[in-house]
Amino acid sequence: MTSIQMPQLGETIIEGTILKWLKAEGESIERDEPLFEISTDKVDTEVPSPVAGTLTKIIVAEGETVPVGTELAEIASEEDAAPAAASATTAPSEPSASGSSGGLGHDAADQDASDAVAAPPSASPSPSGAAATAVDRGPRSQILSPLVRKLAQEHGLDLSTIAGTGTGGRITKADVMGIVASGGGQAPPAAAPHAGAVSVTPPSVTTAASQGEAIEPISHIRRAIATHMLASVNETARAWTMVEINVDHLVKLRERSKDAFLATHGVKLTYLPFVVRATVDALKAYPMVNSRIDGDDIVTPRAVHMGIAVSYDAGLIVPVIRDVDVMNSVGIARAVGDLAARARSHQLKPDEVQGATFTITNPGPYGSLVSVPIINQPNAGILSLDSIQRRPVVIEGDAIAVRSMVYVSMSWDHRLLDGEIATRFLARVKQNLESWDFAEDLGV
Amino acid sequence: MPRRTWAFEPPGLVGYDAANDAMHDLARRRLERQVPDSLILLEHPPVFTAGRRAKPEHLVWSEQEAAAHGAEVHHVDRGGSFTFHGPGQLVGYPIVHLGGRPDAAAYLRSLEEAVIVAGAELGAELHRRDDVQTGVFAGDDKVCAIGVRLMRTQVTLHGFALNCDTDLSWFGGIVACGLANNGVTSLSALLGRDVSVDEVRPIVRRALGEAFDLSFEDPPTEELEAFRSPLVA
Repeated sequence: MTSIQMPQLGETIIEGTILKWLKAEGESIERDEPLFEISTDKVDTEVPSPVAGTLTKIIVAEGETVPVGTELAEIASEEDAAPAAASATTAPSEPSASGSSGGLGHDAADQDASDAVAAPPSASPSPSGAAATAVDRGPRSQILSPLVRKLAQEHGLDLSTIAGTGTGGRITKADVMGIVASGGGQAPPAAAPHAGAVSVTPPSVTTAASQGEAIEPISHIRRAIATHMLASVNETARAWTMVEINVDHLVKLRERSKDAFLATHGVKLTYLPFVVRATVDALKAYPMVNSRIDGDDIVTPRAVHMGIAVSYDAGLIVPVIRDVDVMNSVGIARAVGDLAARARSHQLKPDEVQGATFTITNPGPYGSLVSVPIINQPNAGILSLDSIQRRPVVIEGDAIAVRSMVYVSMSWDHRLLDGEIATRFLARVKQNLESWDFAEDLGV
Repeated sequence: MPRRTWAFEPPGLVGYDAANDAMHDLARRRLERQVPDSLILLEHPPVFTAGRRAKPEHLVWSEQEAAAHGAEVHHVDRGGSFTFHGPGQLVGYPIVHLGGRPDAAAYLRSLEEAVIVAGAELGAELHRRDDVQTGVFAGDDKVCAIGVRLMRTQVTLHGFALNCDTDLSWFGGIVACGLANNGVTSLSALLGRDVSVDEVRPIVRRALGEAFDLSFEDPPTEELEAFRSPLVA
């Protein structure tokens, strides 16, 4: 049984009036289907049902005004109806957590750590704005006017192969008509944009093609990444600092906890949650590293919203774990698994790739030893977690021993930070990772 | 980071139905995250609109009388009571996604703040009257009515109506916003000179951009079709 309550539409709005019930008692309702309309001060809204099920009871009648949080109705959800299937039906609510382990498949030998999140070694995360747009413009969600859709259909064009020249890469009527005019309408979709060019271009094109060069237009997301990477390089004063961290005890902890962690929390245990926690603490200690330049101001948010670079088929995207500073390792592991899985199934919402205050990239699982990432603007820095390796190190007592070691580095913006802060920050991350006992944090 | 926002500024007078349909269509697509936020700034031909809390007795003229004056009466899905839209009034419909934890009250305050800032730039001292109602006032008189609806608690619909050089006699047809004891004024009346919608529009746009951190861009041309109605000059 799900209790439906008067929603809070703002801190200063304390009550609301039921304008209309859109369902009667006994009617069934889908999740997210509008259930009732409310009016508060001068704002009206329809409120969607949080669950699918049957509206069993209306407690507050139309026209009544009640405080926020008042129980308004009860819905018998589908889960209530089939208790035996409870585990099956609840599974979809956290599919991302468990799903992430299956779908991503970067099982690098000694570091499946990054199963959830990884970026290609040479790449850097695209700024959140670019990523957001990229989500908007995924081929499946391409914004098209009915006119363009109709024209494309009439001329047998595959819209996914057309590079739009309209606002934000949109395909315009002119784009479609241009292709039609160049005879592209009847051509095979992939060749359509070049159909005209091939016929007027001398042998070089034919030669190139015969030598096995594939030609395809730059995708929207590739273009967005390119633009923002270049903008970052042009606008930031990038400097780079690296530390080496002994993660021997973390490797051992993960080895002995990972099965229980997966069983308990339904998500694989990687090294990323440890690194995120250690980084968040360092950001709290050195808030400048969490800041950004905004016009003539330096803006330093109190909260930490951590961007995590994720590679997927279309390129690179940086989903954001919001308010990561209030999460423990389990919460971070779940959030990372969820965001990475949805990034790879193209289901991230634009809001989820915006507003990072700092970014972590994790090329380690692909085998990189050291990476120099490009800063995800407007962040002040980006931290790179590279491969964990067994290495001979000098330990106390001038002895040489084999330990699990990792290089962790940060590209940072010298406009905002100086070497002292950047280095102290990294030293703090190192100190945290080497001294903290994460065992209790894992809840296993 | 500023929010990408399509800025619609259709020319002439835009029929209420056309604008209302276009606004709802943009909001639906915004909810599905197919389009960015939008800001629609326009002028309507004379029309009385009744919000969900409008009381019949607040329509002073009958619908026939209103029609005789050349104005329609529309019952709409926003909050609030009766208001009037017409030439000389800058109407703004921000279609903004308020995010996962929507704060409708904060949204209304920001709308008011933006209008106050715009008024100050023009030399008019405007303020809130929390003791009276949502909206922007000069003294006891309302210069800008505000009425908003949220789609699925997340995307804003409707907005504000700022009197620039509106013929205020139209407001004789209603008890504006259900307030019997408050008058209605315009920027022109307040400043003692003709203040046109064309003068106010860019100032309000900039103020809204700053209040909500919006980064404006032109919408794709085909999106403008929706605002074409027989009434467009």
